[in-house]
This record gives sequence, C-alpha cells and structure tokens, in this order.
Amino acid sequence: MVKDQAMSVVFDGSPLKAMQSSHTHSPRTALSTQELSQEIKSFISGVDTVQGRKLSVREHARCAVRLLRSVPACRGAVLEHLRGVYDEHVSAFLHNLETEGDANSVVSSNLEDIIQEVHGVLSEFIRLNPRAWAPLVSTWAVDLLGQLSSKHAGRRVAPHSSSLNELLQLWMSCAATRSLMEAYSLCLAAMLAWCPDACVDALLDTSVQHSPHFDWVVAHIGSAFPGTIISRVLACGLKDFCSHGTKDQGLMVMGGDKGNRVPKIGSVVGILGHLAAHHSDSIRRELLRMFQESLNPSGPLSPTSSSTSWESSPQLRRAAVPFLLQLAAMSPNLFGAVSAELVELLRPPVLLQLQALLQGLPREELDNMLGLAVHLISQSPSGGARVLRFLADTATPASVIISGPTPSPHEGVREGCDRLLQMLLLHLHKLVFNRSDGTEGNPFHSASSQPQRVTPFLEELQSHVGELCAETLRLERKRHLWLHQLLCLLSVYGGPSVATEAFCQLLTQARNPEELALAWQLHTTLSSCMAGLIPAAVARCVAQIHTHTLGPRQLRQLLLNLAAAIQSQDEERRGSVGAQSSMAIQVGSAVSGHLHDFGPLLLHGDPAVSHATVRLLSCSPLPRTSSPAHLLLLSRAAVTHFFLALRRRGEGGKMGRDGGQAGEAVNCSVQLLSRFAAYSPLTLKAVLQQLVEGALHKGNADLFGGQIADMSGAPLASPSVSPDLGASLLDVNCRFGTTVNFSGSVWSVFHAGVIGKGLKIRTATQLLDSSSVIQNVQTLLAVVVQCCSSSGLNGSINGSRLPSDPDEPPPINAEAAKVVAVTLVENVCPDVANGELSWPPEEHARTTVERDIHIRRCFEAHPVLFPLLQVVAAGRPALCYCSAVLRGLLATLLAHWEASREISSTDSPWHLQASCLLVSCMGEGQLLPPVLANVHEAFPLLTPFEVRLLLLAVWEYVRGNGPMPQKFVFSSEKGLFCRDFSRDGDVARYVAPIHSVLHKNIDRLGHLCWRFQL
Amino acid sequence: MGDIRQSLLPRDVLSAAKELLYHLDIYICNLVQSGRQPPQVDSKTLELVEEFILHAPKDRNTPGRRMSALQELQLLEIMCSCFQEQSRDTVRQLMFSALFSLQGNQADESRMALLGKLVSMAIAVGRIPILECAATWLQRTHCVYCVRLAQVLVDDYCSMVPGSVPTLQNIHSASPRFCCQFITAVTTLYDLTSEELTPPLELLQMIVSWIQDDPRLVLITFLNTPLSGSQPISSLDVTPLGGLMRWCVKAPLAYRRDKKQVLTNGSTENEPDTGPLFSALHLSVLQVFMLLPNILNEKGLFGRLALLQMESLAALTSDLSRLLDQADKHTHTSSTDTHALSQLTLDRLAQALQVAMANGALLCSREDLRAICSRLPHNNLLQLVLSGPVMYYNNIHTPPLAFSPHAAHSPIASHPTHPAHTPHTPHTPLTNHPSSHPQYPGQPFMTGMPFPFRPSH
Repeated sequence: MVKDQAMSVVFDGSPLKAMQSSHTHSPRTALSTQELSQEIKSFISGVDTVQGRKLSVREHARCAVRLLRSVPACRGAVLEHLRGVYDEHVSAFLHNLETEGDANSVVSSNLEDIIQEVHGVLSEFIRLNPRAWAPLVSTWAVDLLGQLSSKHAGRRVAPHSSSLNELLQLWMSCAATRSLMEAYSLCLAAMLAWCPDACVDALLDTSVQHSPHFDWVVAHIGSAFPGTIISRVLACGLKDFCSHGTKDQGLMVMGGDKGNRVPKIGSVVGILGHLAAHHSDSIRRELLRMFQESLNPSGPLSPTSSSTSWESSPQLRRAAVPFLLQLAAMSPNLFGAVSAELVELLRPPVLLQLQALLQGLPREELDNMLGLAVHLISQSPSGGARVLRFLADTATPASVIISGPTPSPHEGVREGCDRLLQMLLLHLHKLVFNRSDGTEGNPFHSASSQPQRVTPFLEELQSHVGELCAETLRLERKRHLWLHQLLCLLSVYGGPSVATEAFCQLLTQARNPEELALAWQLHTTLSSCMAGLIPAAVARCVAQIHTHTLGPRQLRQLLLNLAAAIQSQDEERRGSVGAQSSMAIQVGSAVSGHLHDFGPLLLHGDPAVSHATVRLLSCSPLPRTSSPAHLLLLSRAAVTHFFLALRRRGEGGKMGRDGGQAGEAVNCSVQLLSRFAAYSPLTLKAVLQQLVEGALHKGNADLFGGQIADMSGAPLASPSVSPDLGASLLDVNCRFGTTVNFSGSVWSVFHAGVIGKGLKIRTATQLLDSSSVIQNVQTLLAVVVQCCSSSGLNGSINGSRLPSDPDEPPPINAEAAKVVAVTLVENVCPDVANGELSWPPEEHARTTVERDIHIRRCFEAHPVLFPLLQVVAAGRPALCYCSAVLRGLLATLLAHWEASREISSTDSPWHLQASCLLVSCMGEGQLLPPVLANVHEAFPLLTPFEVRLLLLAVWEYVRGNGPMPQKFVFSSEKGLFCRDFSRDGDVARYVAPIHSVLHKNIDRLGHLCWRFQL
Repeated sequence: MGDIRQSLLPRDVLSAAKELLYHLDIYICNLVQSGRQPPQVDSKTLELVEEFILHAPKDRNTPGRRMSALQELQLLEIMCSCFQEQSRDTVRQLMFSALFSLQGNQADESRMALLGKLVSMAIAVGRIPILECAATWLQRTHCVYCVRLAQVLVDDYCSMVPGSVPTLQNIHSASPRFCCQFITAVTTLYDLTSEELTPPLELLQMIVSWIQDDPRLVLITFLNTPLSGSQPISSLDVTPLGGLMRWCVKAPLAYRRDKKQVLTNGSTENEPDTGPLFSALHLSVLQVFMLLPNILNEKGLFGRLALLQMESLAALTSDLSRLLDQADKHTHTSSTDTHALSQLTLDRLAQALQVAMANGALLCSREDLRAICSRLPHNNLLQLVLSGPVMYYNNIHTPPLAFSPHAAHSPIASHPTHPAHTPHTPHTPLTNHPSSHPQYPGQPFMTGMPFPFRPSH
C-alpha cells in the first residue's frame, strides 16, 4: 500500500510539487529575537522550552526548518539534524517494507510530509539563490545519499548492489532518497552553468567513498545529465590525473596496485562504466573528442569549447593521452568502446600531431605509455586485426616498390610504430610462454589441463588466422617477419587447433618455395611444443577438400605444396641433412594415410587439379595397410586419370600450350600406376585389369589407333552443319510426369536416331595422327610392362633373385601377365563357350565362326591388342590363357588365306601383319618351338595359300602340343618360366610343310633357311 | 590557566569547549580585578582557546578534533548567553579578543568561521553585547578580515536566507556602532569593480534606509573613538564616507553595465531601479558632510583630520576615468544615455568634492584636485569646482596647507582622549542636531551652502 503510494509519487512527481508550492506560500511570520533564541534552545535541547516537554521527531524537524528559514548561522546544524530525520525515514521505510507494511505505516507517512516540507524549503532556496545554495545542498545531499545507501545496503529488502535497476527502483520509491536526489539534480542543473567541475568533484568523491552502494545515484544522475556528466567526469578525472602526476600509472597497471594514490580515476571508470549501458555512444564521442582536442595544436581557443577549460592548458592536453590510456587500461568497457574508432582516427596527420605532442614527454613516461599501450592492445577483445593491420602498415618502411594502403608516414611515426609492434610481440611472447608456470617441464601438457590466462588480443586474432597467413605470405620486408612471429605465438597460444589452422592455411596459400618455407619455419618453431601438428594439418586439409571450401586454384596449390613437401624428402636423402627431413617424412606418412581422400581428385574437372593430385600421389609413399575398397577405388581413379592424361597430352600437343605439363602428367601417372601396382597383388591385378579394359574401351580406343565400328550407315555430316534435333531422352524423361505427349516422346527415340528425323548424325571422329598413336601405345605398353615387372609380385615369387644386370629390363612377371591375358580374353572374346585351352582340330573351327569373326574384328578395331599380346607372351606362360583368342584369330586368318585369291600375301596387309604378329607372339610365349615361330618371317614373301599352309602347321602343332601352363618350368638362373620342347612330341612332323614351302620358293627364301633348321 | 588542559583533554569536544569558556570567564574576571594595566591574556590561554574552541590542529600528528555542526551551534548558543550574561564591558571585550583577535596563525581560519557564525547568530537573536564587541573587533582588525566578516553576514542575510533581511535591518537599532562598522566594511568590500563586487539590492536598500533614517549613523565610530593614535594600520576607515561616496559616484556607470549584461542575457527580470536609491544615498552623504564642521570643531579637529583620504580619492578618479573611457569606447548605440550617465557620475563627484572640501572632510588644494581629476572628461560642474578661486576654509584660522592631510595617526595632544562611551548612548551629544531631511528633493542643500563661485551665465 505504502509502496504503491510511493511509486505513484515517483512517477508523476506532482505531490512533491504540490507540497512545495503550498509551503512557499505559507505565511511566514517574522519571529522576534527572543522567539528565535527560544527556538534555537529548543532545537538544541530537543525540548520545547516554553512547555517543557520533549519534541517529537516531527516537531523537532519543523523547528529545524524554521531555523533554516530565519537563522542563517544554524544552517549547518539544521542540515546535520535533517540527516538524522532522513535516516529515520529511510529506516522506517525499509522496516515497513520488511514487515509488509502492517503496523507502523503512520510513522513513515508522518515523516514523509516533513521531508517534503524540507524539500520544499531547500528547492525554494536553490531556486532563489542557486549560487549560494546549490554547492551547499549538493554536497550535503550527495554525502547524505552516500551515507544512507551504504548504511542501509545490508538490509534484507535492499537488493544487492550489483542489481542497479532494482536498487534504483527501491531508493526512488523512498521519499527521503528521492527528495535528496531531486534536490541534487536541481543543484546540478543550476551549477552546471557556472562551476560544473565542483559538483562532479563532489559526486566523484562520494562515489569513491561509498563505492558500490552509491552507484545508483551516479547512474541516475548520469542518465539525467548524460552529456554534461560524461564530459565533466572526464575533465575532472583528467585534472586529477594530471595533478597526481603520471608517475604511478605504470606501477598501477603492472602491479594492479589499487591504492588510493589516484582515487578519482577509479570512480571515473566506475561511473562511465555505468553510463556505458545506455550512453555508450556519447561516452565514445566524448572520449574521442578528448583525444582529438588534445592533439589540436595549441592555437586560439575554439569558442565552442568554452564550457570545458582543460583544452586551454597545455599541461592538461599533454596529459590527455596518457589519461585516456590509463582509463582504457582500467575499464575494458571503455576501451572496447573507443578502440574500434580510434584506429580509424589515426590517419597520418593525426599521427604527426600525436608524435609532436609526445615528443615533449620524458623518456620514462613514454616508456610507461608504450607499455600501457602494449598491455591494452594485448587485452583488447575486439578490433585486434584492425589494430594489427594499422600497426604493420604504419611500421612497414616506405618503399618505392610496395605501395601500402596508406601513404608512407613520417619516419619518426614509423619508428614509433615499429617499436610498439616489437614490444607488443615481446609482450605477447611473455604472455604466451609464461602463462602456465607449472608445466614448463612438460610442454605437451600446457595446452590442456592448466587454467590459462586469456589474452583477448590473441583470442580474437584466432579467427583471423587465414588473413594473417595471407599477409605473411606476401613476404613484404619486415612485415612478414612480424606476422610470422605472431603466427607462431598465436599457434602456441591457441593450441593444436589454431596451429593446425595456421599451418594448413600456409600450406594452402603458399605459391612458391620461398613462401612454403614459411610453413616449414612455423613447423620448426612449433614442433618443439606440439606433437602431431602435421598429421592434423593434413587431416584438416582433407576436410577442406571434402567440404569443397577450396577453389580449384587453391586446391591445386595445396596439392602441389604437399607434393613439394614430400619431394623435399627425396632431395634430403640425396644431399644435405636438414630439419625438414623429419617433417617431409611426416608429411609423407600423413598424406599416405589419406590417399583414398585424394584419389577422387584425380578425376577433378580442372586439369590443373588432377595434375597436381597425380603429382602428389605419385610421390607420396603408400600406406602400410589399406582397405581393399579404397585400393580399388584408387586404382580405378588412377587408371582413368591415366587415359585422361593421355588424351590431354594429345590435345595439348595440338594446342602447343600446356604440352609440357600434360606430358609431365602422363609421366606422373605412369609412375603412380607402377608404384601402385607394385604395392600389393590386389592392386597389381586391379591396375592391370583396368588398364587393359580401359585401353580397349570404346572411348579410349581412338587413343591407340582403334576404330569403333560404326553401325549407322548415315553419311558423315559436314562439321559446319550440326543440327541439334533437340531430342534428348533425358529431357523427355524429366518431362514425363507432367506431360503426356507421345509424339516424339521416349518411344520414338532410338539409339539410331529419332523416328521420323532420319538416322542419327554420325559424329565426326577425329583420328589422331599416327605419331601420337604410337606414342600413346608406347606409353601404355610402358605402363603395363612396368606394372608387370614391378616388384609387387616378383617379390613374392622370386624375391630372392637380385637384378643381375641393371641394363636388362626386369622380366615380365608371370602372374601379372596372366592378369593381362585373362583380361584380354574377357574383353575380346565374350563368349566363354569352347573356352578351354587345348585346341581342337582345325575343321572344328567352323563351329565357332561367329565368335572368331568377332575376335578378328576386335583385333582390327584395336591395334593395341597385338602389343598387349606381346607383353603377355613375354610373361610366360601367361599366353596360354589367351588360347581361345589366339585360336579364334588364327581360325579367321586361316579362312582368309584360304579364300584369298591374291597373288601375294602382301595384298592383304592387315592379315599379313596379323599373321606375323600372331605367330611371333606365340613363339615368344613359347606356345611354338622356335622353328615354327620363325615362319612369320617368310610370310611377306609367300602367296596366301602358302601362308595358310604354314599357319595350318602352326595350328597342327598347337593342337598336338596343347598350350598348357603346366608345361612351363621355372628356371631359376634366368628368372623365367621356360618350356622344354624336347618333352613334347617330335617337331619334325610339323616342319615338313615349312620345308616344302622353302623348297618351293628357295629363290626368295634361301636366306631364311637357317631359321628353320631343327 | 595552562594546567586545566589535562582535565580538558578527556572531555568530549563540546563539554571541553564549554568548560574552557567557563574558566576563561573566571580568568579574565580575575585579570581585570587584579587591576594590572593593560590587562593582557597570556599566550597559554590563547593556545588553549585555539585547541579546544577553534580546534586548530596542534601538530601534524594528532588530527584536530572537529565539532559537528550541531555541537558548534550549541557552543555558539553558549557563547551568546555567556556574553549576554557578563555584565562587565571590559571582561566581555577581553574575552572577545581572547577568542577572536587574529593571531596570524593556522587557527585564524576557524576563528574567522566561528566569528562569522557567532555574529550572524547574534544578529538573529539580538545579542547586543556581542555586536558591540564585534564592532570593536572591526575597528581593530585588518580590513581584509573585516571585509570577510561583512561578506559572511551579507551572504547569510541577503542571499542565503531570503526572508531574513529585516533581521539584519534591526542591527541599526540594536547596535549602531556595529551597524556603522558594518557599513564601512561593506562599502570597502563592494567597490563596484565587477558584478560580484556590486552590493545586493537588499543590502543597498537597507543601507540607504539606515542612513536616511539617521545620517549620523555613519559618524558614530568617529564620534566614539578616541583619536589616540591607537588606530591600527590598514584597518577600516573611521567612517564609511569614502566608500559611500565611491558607491554614489560609480553607481551610474556600474549599474549601467549590469543592466546591459542583463539585457544581453535575455533575462526579463525587472529589478527595481537602483538610481533613486543612489540619489538618496548621495544626498545623505552630502548631508553627513555638512554635519562635519560642527563635530570637528567640537573636537577641535577641523582642518586637521581628513575623513576622506587623498589616496582613495585618487584611486576613485583614475577608476572613473578608465570606466568612462570604456563607456565611450564600447557604447555606440545609446550614446546619449551613456553621456547622461557619465555626466551624472561627474556631477556627483564634483558635488561630493565640493561639499567635502567645504566641510573639512577633504584636506587638499585645488591644484591637488586638478592633478587628480586631470584625466576625467569635461563636466561643467567639475570644472567649476576645480577652477574656482582658491578657497580656504570658512574658518580661516586654521592653516590648511601646512597640515598634512594624512595626519590621522598623529596624536593630537591638545585633545584629551574621550572617556569610553557607554554603548547604549553613543551619540547623545548629537541627538538634538537637525539630522536628516529625507523628504527633501535632491537640490535644496545647494542653496544653503556657501558657494563662492557661480557660473557667469
């Protein structure tokens, strides 16, 4: 009830005013001197001297007010007495609140009217003569407010001093404190006109005295007079700061010595801190204004700043900057408010002014300020990046080459900034490395357990690691040294995550070896205190790849950098020993752990990326263990990339540009494949299989001179006219749900063309020129041979054998050759019927005519088959597994030669070549004894029929001596499987037709006779 | 007396002070009774006063105890009654001077503060003995402190407590001596050089009404003081005449300045015009001058004692010339108004000079005057006064030029010192004198006075 009433008073304030006016007009009878004397006696003794009874509190207070009005000398005593009255009222008020206002509400209301009476008198006085009364009453009111607030702070109903709003609510609902507050506001309003500093001084003093409990007063006054209070408070603080000298400041910051040496600055900070909640803008404005005006050269006084006088004193102006620094050091809030805009303000002219101002200070003081500034920067929670950029920009020496974002500052300013930056780095270094004292012996622990001191500057910069790295990598003069040092500190501070991030960024952004070296430097610094940095960084890079956060260029750069890192290992091995070696090994092992993640990048749409990937993969070591799925995927990707690289090389050769790169890509791809094949039997098999399949694939056939049989008979369209029919099965399917349009829909689209639109236009196949075909074939063969002869299987089978002659190429591995053979058979001869190895009689070939024709077409379409067969043949006894293919080809050749009515075998060149190659292959594969194998040398000189005779002899031999792998025996001295033909039946039986043919054509074949001796 | 210190030390502040007062009373009574001449309070006692009443810090280590404002009020009340109850004038005076005569030490500040409060309170509750003592104090003390006391009283009664002017007004009837000294102090304080040093309107009204009621008021100190050479150096003037004359002469210029400021401030407060007040005051001052010959003759001092000092006059004229220069420079708009005011100023100066010289208040030759007034702008009346035939005093028997005008401190052997007047009948010899004519217009006194030179128109 009482509270309600009080609240209403708070919010409209009218009752007070009503009381005042009623009292101002109350009849004042001038008292006689005797009466006054009596009155004074009564007041002093508290007893009514006329009636001899004790005065009540209320009467006593009335008496006091009367004296206040009539006897000036009693002023002090009356005000002192009124303190008691106010105190009493506050006590009653609080008591009332505590007892829920049941009993003694009368007391408080009684006193309340007295308080309003007093308030009326005081405000009347203040209004009539503010000069005389305002200082007096304001001091009294502030002091009393402070006393009351701290005295009753411990009461049950009083909220804790930190909840400012509740506190304000409580005190403003109490008539006594509210009246005091209003009186003070009145005084302040009056005094601001002529002595603003005095009233704020009193406020500050009281605030210091009753520190937390008095805050609500300051907050209230501050929000009532924000503009003036803020600037006055600042001016007061500055004056006080200046008069106390600046000697203690360094001590205060470093040691945190919060003695009463500089009492006011503390309360300045407190007050501004309160006001910051609602008036941060004006606070910021005032602070910045103070800064700017302190810099203005001491010219004529600006007429606008007449109210504040500190600008006029050079001493104060010089103290302004240290003062602001001190202020900022003591209040993070204030600092945060100013720091952001301060940096913007520091343009070259301002810097020059600042330098001019600070030059006058003694060195010791400058050092203090510098230390303070460094401390502040390291503690600044936001804007650190901007500050850093500013410092670096300003401190970077002016250069003709590099034009910074700002015009080059004065040399003195630059040196100052340089020094500041150095000190900042030093300070941060101390902070970072000293923050956990206990764990110096065990640096690995420092990141985890110890509760650490937070350095806000570094905290904030953690999110700018990327930019820092980019800046560092620009390698500008001194700047990159600073930034690199900062990166190190940041990494140590932020622990593994930040270090990883930084390292990762450097790896991604470095563009050349010099820049990459920065990454190694970082690692060298950090490696002492951080384990597992490189694996983590690589893992992070991989994560970036997965999330597609990197653009193609960055991705490429990253991959190249990793590759370079690994390759440096090889160089190390060869030459000098350096710190990088271990790191290169670490990178290698880390990358090898993520090979399957890099694999898909081989097929990246950007050739540069895929090239970089292959470079990386080709040089990275392979993991010890890896899951088959990964291996298969990798091998598939690698093989696919191989063909892509071949195609690009072809195209690149035409372009003339990128040719070298494409060639290198092919080389890398070859290397990758061979190394990969050597990794394990599984990979070997997969690689070979896919290589062969890929070589025979329709899309790749043209690389190796193959021609896809075109089924359509449509004429080749001229390249200029390529009408787009607009028919797309995909489109039709997409539309299928929405429209039902069967004319020209899915049903009318065939592989041969759209019904009604004629045959599908033949795409012009661009035939490669023979030289590149040859090159491609050679490359493919080289890969296959390398794969087949690599140590993967050799090790398991004939690992004991040392390469006796380094010039001699390593032998083709039988198992690998078998893989190729099987794959060939699967691709060339899809029909598995009659797939057994042993050959039937020649007549039986007519049962498999269709299949044989298919096989022959295959050979026609893929010239690369013959070289592959030769590879297989070299890996004896693998050719046995190609038996079906050989048989089919031979059957068709026999049929051809039989039907041929040409004069010479050279008239059917393809068949002649095929026959020669086939026989030589079989000879190489030791399906034929040397006598028979040599027959192909005679083929070009013979007639088709004679060729058929000879081929028939071959058939007969093979039919008689089946191509069985078990007939081959491993000869350890050669390191090869060999077939002992002596165990087979007599060769002479099959040689007879050869000799007949020789005899017949002895004139032309004489020089070959020795080839057919048994 | 020194031995009571130990007994006072453990007491609380107020009772120690009370007890000391009590002992002081007894001690001084004994001193007076012992008949030693002159009665002198010893330094130990003064130290006790400083320690226990004024609470001056005795040394740096022990912080001085302080009274609360309430205790101080009680002490003041006790002092009031103490002085009131002491019947013997000598004892009172001795006690007052023991308490409040300045010693030139640290305690003087608190002494002044306490004195201010005591006098202020005595005015409020009408303690005449205290006012009489204060009047004596004002006569003996350096004028700087007198001015401070006056300032306290003016602040208290004219600015701080709005309704209390009548109380101050009463001192005229309560203690004319004090009132006279107060006027002297106030006129010394407010020399109209700046806004702060312009007397508040209430004060002005009060003083004018006092002097109008009884012009001889301003002479009371002079009448009651034995000119025995005991006048301390740089104390207040014996009469406020010089100060009052300064007020009247400078007022037109000073208040014109104020008015201008008010106008520029945009304040719409229309204060009652001070012009008539100063006119009346000027008249009163002139009337007082005219009272002088009789009094001086009575005392045998005519032509020997200059109540207006030449130095202060010189200061006034140089001030005036500066002000008039400024007025000429700064006002271009209302030049007629300015001119009128300047002329009024110079008129008043001329009148005052003439009357003062004629009545023996100012002892100098016209050459001296011309030198002093040489820089002032032209004014007919002043011209007349300055250029008139060398006129000696009416009573030609006194050689004027041989006598130094600054002879106030020289003992005049031919006149025995006056016996001490009783405070209540200070000016009984003058009561039947035709005192004042407040209803008169400004001019008539001109006709009554001897005016040896008239303009030739």
